[in-house]
Amino acid sequence: MTNMIRSRVPSLNWPGLPGPYGDAHLALLWQLERSQWWKADALLAYQMKQLRATLDHAVKQVSYYRTRLAGLDLTACATPEGWAELPILTRSNIQEAGPQLRSDGMPSEHGRFHEVQTSGSTGKPIRAFGSDITAFYWNVLTLRWHLWHKHDFAGKLASIRILDESIGTPPNGTPVPAWGPATDTAWVTGPSTLLNLATASVSQQAEWLQRESPDYLLTHPSNLAALVREMGPRTTALRNLREVWTISESLDANTRRFIEETWQLRVVDTYSSRECGYLAIQCPIADHYHVQSESVLVEILDDEGRPTEPGEIGRVVISTLHNYATPLLRYEIGDYAEVAPPCSCGRGLPTLRRIVGRQRNMLTLPDGQKRWPRCGYDQFMDIVPVRQLRLVQRSLQTIDAELVADHPLSDTESKALIEIVQQALGYPFEIHLVYVSNISRGSGGKFEEFLAALEPSKS
Amino acid sequence: MNINEATPKSIASIVWPAMPTPHAASLLAMQYQLEQTEWWSAEALRKVQLDQLGLVLRHAYETIPFYRMRLSSIGYQPKNPLTAEDFARIPLLLRSDIQTQGKALLSNRPVVAHGRVSSGITSGSTGRPINYYGTELTGFFWQALTLREHIWHNRDIAKRMAVIRMGLQNANHPTWGPPTDIPFVTAPCATLDIRTDVDKQVDWLLEQRANYLLTFPTNARALAEACLKRGVHFDGLLEVRTLGETVDQELRDLCREAWGVKLVDIYSACEIGYIALQCPVNEHYHAQSESLLVEVLDKNNQPCQAGEIGRIVVSTLHNSMMPLIRYELLDYAEVGPTCSCGRGLPVLKRIMGRQRNLVALPDGRRYWPSTGYKEWGGRLPIRQAQIVQRSLSIVEAKLVLSRPLLPAEETEFVTILHRSLGHPFEIIFSYHQEIPRSAGGKFEDFISEVT
Repeated sequence: MTNMIRSRVPSLNWPGLPGPYGDAHLALLWQLERSQWWKADALLAYQMKQLRATLDHAVKQVSYYRTRLAGLDLTACATPEGWAELPILTRSNIQEAGPQLRSDGMPSEHGRFHEVQTSGSTGKPIRAFGSDITAFYWNVLTLRWHLWHKHDFAGKLASIRILDESIGTPPNGTPVPAWGPATDTAWVTGPSTLLNLATASVSQQAEWLQRESPDYLLTHPSNLAALVREMGPRTTALRNLREVWTISESLDANTRRFIEETWQLRVVDTYSSRECGYLAIQCPIADHYHVQSESVLVEILDDEGRPTEPGEIGRVVISTLHNYATPLLRYEIGDYAEVAPPCSCGRGLPTLRRIVGRQRNMLTLPDGQKRWPRCGYDQFMDIVPVRQLRLVQRSLQTIDAELVADHPLSDTESKALIEIVQQALGYPFEIHLVYVSNISRGSGGKFEEFLAALEPSKS
Repeated sequence: MNINEATPKSIASIVWPAMPTPHAASLLAMQYQLEQTEWWSAEALRKVQLDQLGLVLRHAYETIPFYRMRLSSIGYQPKNPLTAEDFARIPLLLRSDIQTQGKALLSNRPVVAHGRVSSGITSGSTGRPINYYGTELTGFFWQALTLREHIWHNRDIAKRMAVIRMGLQNANHPTWGPPTDIPFVTAPCATLDIRTDVDKQVDWLLEQRANYLLTFPTNARALAEACLKRGVHFDGLLEVRTLGETVDQELRDLCREAWGVKLVDIYSACEIGYIALQCPVNEHYHAQSESLLVEVLDKNNQPCQAGEIGRIVVSTLHNSMMPLIRYELLDYAEVGPTCSCGRGLPVLKRIMGRQRNLVALPDGRRYWPSTGYKEWGGRLPIRQAQIVQRSLSIVEAKLVLSRPLLPAEETEFVTILHRSLGHPFEIIFSYHQEIPRSAGGKFEDFISEVT
């Protein structure tokens, strides 16, 4: 298997010249190939150099930080000791700060702003902005993930994920000639095919997957587990499948084992967030994760705010190195992780044994079909003052919408929220609004933003 | 800071990892790719080389009359994929072909996207001058492989470089120059004309306190001998880099003895770029398969096996202006076994090309001489030249001509030689059918019989 670099120059196929954008990707990969082996303290020193520049920008261009960091010596802040003294930025802080966290301006090389809305792992929706640079890092780290795991770009990729309404409609999905912008900017890839997780039931997914017979499958862990349960041991229809990739939710050890044993292939997981990009990628030779230190500084802190030791679980606190649109500095994302000792692979990138974040149950429709549920965060943020939301399916007809709100919703707001949730779930369930003061995590530390609480006989 | 740990130059607002400028990014992007391909197996490399050569051949067939005729004669079909067997049937391109064909070897439709055309003259390893043409694309590969050479040898770019070569001014430069200073901040570089007396070069190097020295092998030998004789040591010298002539084990040993440093050699030719670079681990060479296909052929034009010595034949992969296809360089090499470093790039154990003596002047000065080919190569009907210093006052010009020199041309040649050698020697001419190599396989384009 030899992945070939794309060439955009006539009469030149090899070595490929992929053009300026592809060059930029490969030039960064050239650096990442080296930095991944650096020792932890060397990585931290470089991170601090970059964060010094980010702090400068934040104080000059972001009113929230101008106030928050007023009077601080930024050079002293950009040291490991100084950094630990900076205040934590919570999701509630972000919700309250609103537009004050958006940069008034960025250096031209950072390109355009783009908006990011996410419920994160805790059902607390926030709005942030990224730039062309953050999108670029997203692409390059996607490439690193593929390259670490030696993915064969000539293979066929099937993705079952949340897509725009018009794309990936079941039963046939949407065929695409290449894997996507992250890969095909610099490499020649095989085809891919998309199915919309928001609208495809598990049985539709199974049927589609057998028809498509891909080399790789990308989806959410909870959906993958449901798919494996539905399909049982891998049949010849999926004989081409070499590996499955999971994104967007926590993948626990039991789910991983269940999938790997039933389908007899490897699961490769990534840990990312919309507002911060890739945070950690599964090690090429183990099931644990390496922090993407060239893009984010990740701290795992105990209740007192001290760094945890290997084996301990703590809060994940992130600082984005290159986001000049909404710099997120010491941002408590709402996930938990267990720190691991240095990895036997030799990489100096910090190691996380496991990540405890979001998990989602499957929705059951009245006709018995199972579906991965959307909650509609991207739509209700601008309409209703909800700070946190969790949906609980009580029966085949009814859903409880548990919500933390600044004040009880007006009739109009309630109606709007109910319509959004019904639309997101794809069925006119009876929605009961339940006001709560706080929505806590489950016993394992995972936050379930959609909880299936059906009686066994009803599910 | 070793180049493999250095952070490239970056746009203002990003410190680390760097976001380089487009030119720097293209060079680093190519390094990324080369760091993958160098580990490919010989078979995998050969396959992509043949695919790329298929494009080169098609372009040559369609736009260069010389190749259209040559390829037609072997039944070449541009629509068919190129096989190793087809390729091996292409007749060798001789240096004399390039001399006689001239512009008939140039494409009448060079690929516009390959950039501007550049040209030059080179005498090569055997004193036979030719005109050559390249494009910005071939220049880019030259730069990329220069950078690869620094990366392979993990040079410290914060250390000072000294270069003693032809045509350089005695000057101090703020950086190592392109391509290294395109992606990286480097230390300064000092340059000196190689026609400086050897003892003065030693004094200059002592002043420079350079960490790396780049020069021709013959000059390195003279410097090492002079240092041993004078008891001079260059403090801080990390490595001697050589190019342009044959390097033997004796010279490598001499550099260790004189300065306690290793010698790293480069095998290149003006008309084709880098042919082979010294392995980072061993003292032999790796062919630069991403830029050209290197064959080492025996007297029956069959590929030599490990341990055998044969003629070097190269095919350029990216020159759309003047593709050189199965071009016999007139150098010899011994094929090596697979390298212990693990790279799949073919191994040349040793290379036998040009060697040049130092010229001795009546006032006692000695230096590496120019033979002036750049001045006479394009204008005078000289196919091959060897200059022999017979005494402190007499120099013989041994020439192979395509037609007799006119009296004015003889005068012009004498003037050029006086200027190149730096002294008004008495020049005597002798004319030959061919000037052979020495018994060791090296061609000496300047021989001094003055001891």
